[in-house]
Amino acid sequence: MMQWMCMDCGYAYDPAKGDPMGDIPPGTAWEDLPEDWKCPDCGSPKSEFELIEM
Amino acid sequence: MMTLPKLEDLSDPDFNPFEIEKLSTGHCPDPYPRIHELMQQGSVVTGSYRDEFTEIKDVQRDGVPQVMVLGYDAVMHVLTHPEIFTNREAFMPSLGQAFGESVSVMDAPDHTRYRKIFQKAFLPQVVSKWGETVVDPVVNSLMDVFIHTGKADLVDQFTHHYPFQVIYAQLELEPEQAPVFHKLAIAQLLSAIGAPQGAEATKKLGVFFGQLLKLRRENPGTDLVSHLATVEADGERLPDIVLISFLRQLMNAGGDTTFRGTSALLLGLLTHTDQLDAVRADRSLIPQAIDEALRWEGPVSSTYRYAICDTEIDGVTIPKGTFINLVLASANRDPRKFANPDSFDIFRERKFRSAAFASGPHLCIGQHLAKVEMTRALNALLDKLPNMRLDPDMPPPQMIGHILRAPEHLWIKFDS
Repeated sequence: MMQWMCMDCGYAYDPAKGDPMGDIPPGTAWEDLPEDWKCPDCGSPKSEFELIEM
Repeated sequence: MMTLPKLEDLSDPDFNPFEIEKLSTGHCPDPYPRIHELMQQGSVVTGSYRDEFTEIKDVQRDGVPQVMVLGYDAVMHVLTHPEIFTNREAFMPSLGQAFGESVSVMDAPDHTRYRKIFQKAFLPQVVSKWGETVVDPVVNSLMDVFIHTGKADLVDQFTHHYPFQVIYAQLELEPEQAPVFHKLAIAQLLSAIGAPQGAEATKKLGVFFGQLLKLRRENPGTDLVSHLATVEADGERLPDIVLISFLRQLMNAGGDTTFRGTSALLLGLLTHTDQLDAVRADRSLIPQAIDEALRWEGPVSSTYRYAICDTEIDGVTIPKGTFINLVLASANRDPRKFANPDSFDIFRERKFRSAAFASGPHLCIGQHLAKVEMTRALNALLDKLPNMRLDPDMPPPQMIGHILRAPEHLWIKFDS
C-alpha cells in the first residue's frame, strides 16, 4: 500500500482517515490538502512528504 | 570473528548510578495534584518544575532565571515555535555535557539536516522489520525465565531490561558488556547533580563508540551503527561527532523511556481490569491503549527551551534569555483538553494529540520503534501469561518520580 509519509518524522497521512484532530475530514485526498498544510506531528511542510510503499 | 572494542567500567566499579539517579530525583509518588495547582496559577509560573519536588539542585541550571510553562496550548505553542524557543542554549549545559553534539542540542539548519538522516533509519517501515527480528527474540528470552513459575515482577524481570536489550541487539554488542554499558548510560546523566562519574561515563562511552564506529566502517554489517554510518539524506552522511553523540544518547532516549512507558501501560491495564480484558479480547485496541498510557503517565514530565528574543506566552511577557521549563505532564493532564484527565481510559474521545513524544521539529525520533516494542511486548505477555493479573499477596504497584516516572515493582500472577 502506498502512503504519503513525512520524511522528517514518519507521520503517514491516510486519506481515508484524514486528520480529524487537525480539522481535516476523512476522505480528503492528498491533493486536496491545502498547500500550506503542515505535518501535524512535526510541523514540516507538504514538500517534505514522499509517497512510500508500506 | 571480529573483536569488538572493550567498554571500560567506571574507576569505582562499585558506584551504583541507578540508586544515585533515583535518590537525585526524590521520592514523588504523585506530582499531579501540584501540577494542577500550578496550572491554576496560569500558563507561566516563575521557578522550575524540579524545585517543586526535590531540594537536590540541578547544578547545571542552578541560579538561572527560568519559568515553568503549563497547560496544553502554552506547551504546544513553545514546542512548535523553534524560531523563538531554541534547544541549543536550553540543553548545552545539560544534555550537551552528557552526550555532546546530539540532535537534541541543535537548532535549524543543522538540526533539520542531521535529524532527517537519523529519522531515515527510524521510519515506520524500517522499524517494523525489527519487531520480528530483534524485539521478539529479546521479549521471549526474558519471559522464558519466569513463564513456568506462575508469577513475576514485570519491572524487575521484564520492562527494566527489554528495551535496553533491544538496543544491544541492534548494535550487535557482546552480551557480557551489557551491564557496564547500561551502567555508564545512566551514569552520564549524573553530571546534572555534579557527580564526577557523569563526565567519566561520557568520556568512556565516547571512546568506545569511536572505536566501534571505526570498526563498523571498515567492516560494515547489518547492525545499527553500520547502518547509521552509511545512511544518507540528500546526499549527506552523518559526521562522526554527531553520530557518537547520538549513540551516547540512545540508551537514555530509547531505552529508559520505553522501559517507563511500557511499565505505565502495564500498570494502567493491570489496575483497570475491564480495559485489560477488552485489550486481551481485541488486540486492535493496543495502539489506543499505548497512546492513553503515554498521555496518562508520560515517561518524561518536563523538558526545556530557551527564549532567544523577547516574546509572550499566553499574554505573559517573556524576556530574551529566559529558560523555559515546559511541563509536558501538565499538557497531557489539561482538563481543558482531556476530560477527567487523571483517569486512565483507553476509550476516551481523542480530540487532541498528547505531548508524550513532544511536538514540532524535536518530536521523538524513536517513537515508531517505541510503539513497535510496546506492542510486541504487550501481545507476548497477553498471549503467554494466561489470566495475567496483579498479585494480591504483594503491595499494589505505584508510579514513582517527578520527571522520569515508573513503578519500582509490578508483581503479577498468571495461570501456568
